[in-house]
Amino acid sequence: MDELKIKSIHFTAEKFANEITSIDAYCKFYAELQKTVASKSVTLDDFKKCLLESLSSSGMETDLRNSVFHLMRSIHNSQDVCSYKDKEPLEYLKKAQMLWEKRIHKSLNSMSADINSLSLARFRLASDRDEILEKWKELSTYEIDLTQYRPVYAPKDFLQVLLWLRNPNFRSFNFKINDGTWEFTHLSLKVKSFAELKILYGEISRGEPLIGVHHEMPSQRAPYPSLEAERIALGEKVIAFNHAPAAQEYLKKGAPLCIRARIWTQLLGSTVTPEREEYFNRLKQRVLQYDLVVDKLIIKDVQLTASNDPSYFVFEDLLYQIMLCFYRDTDVLSIFHHICATPIRGVLRGKAPTTKNSVYYPPNGIIPFHGFTMYACPLCYLYKEPVAVYCTFKAFYMRYWFRMHEVSSSEQGILALCLLFARLLQRYEPVLWMHFKTNHIQPVRVVFKWLMRGFSGYLAVEQLLLLWDVILAYDSLEVISILAVAILSFRKDSLFQVNNQQDVEGVLADLSTIRVMPLIQMSLIRETIP
Amino acid sequence: MASNGSETRKQFSLGENSLNVRGTSTSMKSRVSYCTDLEKLVLTVNFDKRGWVRVNPDDDWNIYWASVQTCRNLFSVDSGYRLHDNQCINHFPNHYELTRKDLMVKNIKRYRKDLEREGHPTAIRSKQGRYTHLDIIPITYILPADYNMFVEEFRKNPHSTWIIKPSGKSQGAGIFLINKLSKLKRWSKESKPPFHPQNGKESHVISRYIENPLLIGGKKFDLRMYVLVTIYRPLKAYLYKHGFCRFCAVRYDNNNHQDLENVFVHLTNNAIQKNGEDYNNVHSGKLNMESLKLYLETTYGKSRTDFLFFNIKWLIIHSLKAVSSVIANDRHCFECYGYDIIIDEELKPWLIEVNASPSLTFTTAHDRILKSKLIDDILSIVVPPDGIPDARWSKRPSVDAMGNFHLIVDEEYDDRGSNKKIREKYQGSRWR
Ligand SMILES: Nc1ncnc2c1ncn2[C@@H]1O[C@H](COP(=O)(O)OP(=O)(O)OP(=O)(O)O)[C@@H](O)[C@H]1O
Ligand SMILES: Nc1ncnc2c1ncn2[C@@H]1O[C@H](COP(=O)(O)OP(=O)(O)OP(=O)(O)O)[C@@H](O)[C@H]1O
Ligand SMILES: [Mg+2]
Ligand SMILES: [Mg+2]
Repeated sequence: MDELKIKSIHFTAEKFANEITSIDAYCKFYAELQKTVASKSVTLDDFKKCLLESLSSSGMETDLRNSVFHLMRSIHNSQDVCSYKDKEPLEYLKKAQMLWEKRIHKSLNSMSADINSLSLARFRLASDRDEILEKWKELSTYEIDLTQYRPVYAPKDFLQVLLWLRNPNFRSFNFKINDGTWEFTHLSLKVKSFAELKILYGEISRGEPLIGVHHEMPSQRAPYPSLEAERIALGEKVIAFNHAPAAQEYLKKGAPLCIRARIWTQLLGSTVTPEREEYFNRLKQRVLQYDLVVDKLIIKDVQLTASNDPSYFVFEDLLYQIMLCFYRDTDVLSIFHHICATPIRGVLRGKAPTTKNSVYYPPNGIIPFHGFTMYACPLCYLYKEPVAVYCTFKAFYMRYWFRMHEVSSSEQGILALCLLFARLLQRYEPVLWMHFKTNHIQPVRVVFKWLMRGFSGYLAVEQLLLLWDVILAYDSLEVISILAVAILSFRKDSLFQVNNQQDVEGVLADLSTIRVMPLIQMSLIRETIP
Repeated sequence: MASNGSETRKQFSLGENSLNVRGTSTSMKSRVSYCTDLEKLVLTVNFDKRGWVRVNPDDDWNIYWASVQTCRNLFSVDSGYRLHDNQCINHFPNHYELTRKDLMVKNIKRYRKDLEREGHPTAIRSKQGRYTHLDIIPITYILPADYNMFVEEFRKNPHSTWIIKPSGKSQGAGIFLINKLSKLKRWSKESKPPFHPQNGKESHVISRYIENPLLIGGKKFDLRMYVLVTIYRPLKAYLYKHGFCRFCAVRYDNNNHQDLENVFVHLTNNAIQKNGEDYNNVHSGKLNMESLKLYLETTYGKSRTDFLFFNIKWLIIHSLKAVSSVIANDRHCFECYGYDIIIDEELKPWLIEVNASPSLTFTTAHDRILKSKLIDDILSIVVPPDGIPDARWSKRPSVDAMGNFHLIVDEEYDDRGSNKKIREKYQGSRWR
């Protein structure tokens, strides 16, 4: 048995050693390593010992450990997939995803056809290029006519697709009551039980003191006047230590404002390096070079969301830069290794339609939808430099948000989050659930956009960042569903007063006063119903 | 007919007051009468909520929310109007000592000199000769009086930019920027036609332009903060928790100072910005104070942010102390000021001006909620617990009554430090 274990560790290590050669930082690391070996501090007599010593004193060991951590996380990302031949084991979901893609591609194509038969991509005209270059930092003044452009789809269109999903192997005993479209409970996907959630979110469910629960929380340790002061002192230490797993552990009890940005960077491995700055710059060059239809869609999306938002409007110009570059970033394509969605390929004009002559469209493979910008908005509060916002946004998206707009059976996918929401609500707020059911109200119609956007744009910024702390700390999106249920339960009294969909939406329209951590903690502290 | 009705009410309420019968606040509320010459929803909503009745200026009112002009007429010797004990009004008679740009500067300069003469520790100066704690306004001269001093200062920094503002106007009227003496000379020639003698009297201030304001998203902004003073001697002032930032709609480019003419880059007044092409009606360029604090604490750290807000608090206290000896300390008066503050790149706050009638018009839903809560909180502080304005009241509201205001200076409390007994009693009323 032990032998097997050792073998498996050995196997994993070998696999990592292989994989690690393909990451960005590898070349630099290798060069550094060669330098170290050649340096005076490493002698031949005691080669192994002094090499390891100088690796650790130069900080290279930490870098290596962090690289392994990030690599492991990204492999874990696709783990549920690796064990199957297919990226999506459930045939009916795979089919639904394919149909959905077809639909949005068609809609994108027909829109560009409508607008004077514009091609999806072309070289940018010199005059246009000069204008964008000149206005790069104030793209809000870049004026183009966008009246004919409309978002390819909005959360509610996607919800419609999800609501129509049918599991062909499932037949309800009572056809009449279970008309299928009501909530997701008829889908037999695996989601965590409440008991499992309590274990996952251990620090929260044990009622440990957390940042964001209430303001003047005292510290339980000696020299600190408040919990916040204690967490700041500890946070500085964690940051100095520069260890990604430590950052993740730290974040479980929440980060004070002045610590958060650096902890997130560390945890996501999204530090700004000269290479990344250079990369960001190259993306900008590509924006200048090519004129894509999605550019207009994304500009329109910023206009429809951030530009009018009372908390985010100041970052409008920054967001144009971030989003335009993001849509040129081919690194993002790697998410398609572990989801069953496939990006569209466009055939180059005048070439034969072979794979060789085709490119992904848009270059990052993602069709923008209404509100996509909201994934980036909150990060503008964390970093001053566009490239820093960019790196963390990209890392965040590639770890979590890409799952919010595909049909899949993943436990982290949007479908599972909807189902988790429905199950928790039914289980822990049965009376409210019945109230909805008897009045033919579908709470998911209100909640869906919260889930899909990770609450961005709905909660006050500070509260939203606390929620995203929890996502990062526990490396899981399930907290979003927990919060959605908690909000409904918190507004229960008002919800009982109303008996139609529209009024329910009214009760839940304004979340600006919601305080996230007390609600999440209250829900998780509760006893399990057997 | 209507005036008849208010006549009887007046007699009735006078009768009650002269007997000094204080029933429960609910029964008295309905007898409070108010008067206003500003048709502002956020005001009337709050008056109505309290069940106050609106009367004409000639009737007997308990509280008058007046424009500066009306207030001046009321207090003028000619009017011969005398306020009785159950009346209060929202301005001090000579508030302009603080709210006229030239007088504010004069008073602050005098205050600093006085403290320095006393050898007061707050008046210490740095090696460069600047005040360490009292450097709260940009260098400012009054025109035409201090013209020569200005020229001398300008010659020291010939590349500096200055801003010229009429002393008594508002909403950005008549404001412009200069970076050459010739422009100032041309302007002074043009602006004083000899046949318009009263024009010559209009004074201006010229201030060092803050060239390195803190930018967020590349844009300049200033802070609007609300400060309520209920009494000047001993000084008692409250700062409102919720203020907001007013953003310019056009980017402020640090490297390109050619465009001094473009008001949409330099002047943050809503009155100016709303005429701009890039103005947005939905948010109207206003970001709330919580968001600003969030951004600063996240990107600059907690200690620097706390220090900034500590300095803002002291800037306000100093500006009030600078005028507390010259303002007529009328116990019928209270005043809520709109402070305009600019934060520079070093996170140092600068006082730009103080407004006697900060705008009560709202441009967004958030703005409406903020401003009506502001009025609500002001009323709950200035009106005694029994609900009837009273100049003889101690002006010591309970902490609950303060709402989103918090006391930033309370000289009465400070003075009582020596008298422990009274202090304890007073604390009792503060913390009850
Ligand atoms: N010294 C300065 N440095 C930089 N900007 C300044 C300076 N003085 C004024 N400003 C800008 O000009 C604007 C208008 O100035 P100020 O507030 O003094 O005039 P106002 O006409 O009385 O405005 P309000 O409408 O608020 O009464 C300020 O809001 C600020 O943005
Ligand atoms: N109709 C008006 N005519 C002349 N002056 C006015 C008028 N309305 C308000 N004011 C003056 O203009 C100033 C308004 O100042 P304030 O800086 O609050 O305006 P604002 O920036 O336009 O408003 P806000 O930012 O609150 O929407 C005050 O000094 C007030 O006395
Ligand atoms: Mg003014
Ligand atoms: Mg002003």
